[in-house]
Amino acid sequence: MTILEALLDPTGATGGENDSTLSPRPVTLAGLTVGLLDNTKPNSTLLLDEIAADLRRDYGIGEIKHYVKDYFGTPIKDELFQQIVSEVDIVITAVGDCGSCSAATVADGILFERAGIPTVSITSDSFAMSGQAMADVQGFPGFQFVMVEHPVASLDAEHIRGRADQAVPEALRILGVTEVA
Amino acid sequence: MADVTSVDDALASFREMMATDGYLLTWAEAGSDKVVVKIAATDGACEDCLVPLPIMTNIMAKALGPTAYELDHVELPPGATH
Repeated sequence: MTILEALLDPTGATGGENDSTLSPRPVTLAGLTVGLLDNTKPNSTLLLDEIAADLRRDYGIGEIKHYVKDYFGTPIKDELFQQIVSEVDIVITAVGDCGSCSAATVADGILFERAGIPTVSITSDSFAMSGQAMADVQGFPGFQFVMVEHPVASLDAEHIRGRADQAVPEALRILGVTEVA
Repeated sequence: MADVTSVDDALASFREMMATDGYLLTWAEAGSDKVVVKIAATDGACEDCLVPLPIMTNIMAKALGPTAYELDHVELPPGATH
């Protein structure tokens, strides 16, 4: 018996996605449901949790929902994507600290933006080139993402706290947030 | 003959990025105005971390823009799946 398995396009492109317009920005995060999309790379969970804790304390975000991709090297699968779009107001996704995962993290962000969900994609600065190239290939060259200092995966909790400190101001800028709770 | 310095300089950032995942980037001339970029895995290479080919091609075609050369194609390590 032949088993057929769908092949994933590593760019996530399925044709026709040329919209390079950002989704409407929230201005304030107060009460918003935030989706944290963990791509399974080491320290992704901790980094996302640290960022979300800051956003709850200083910007009054509402519910925090956790999601986990099944593989870091390709864009999010449609079933999980649709679930997240239906459940959250904004998405933060991390962490792109390798060639394939930085590209996929940016691709995920673009998918959510095109679905109307403001999104912050986080990569490490060593892989900015990969993330930017994905944005170019996706027809969204102006897509902005957060770049924290490389590395991320090998850090202890104290240093991840430092990466979160780097990420939060940039995340707020990308989200267009101007109001503190 | 390709201007070795200009091609090396153009690809330097990408070479550094690939090295972070354990890959070695080299290049060779392909005719008078094109280069082939070759990616080889080192012992410590992260197989799942390899930049997808369309992304790699985009990066290198753009990087070679300021030089007199164009990208002919990219050769991935044997067995690379993307």
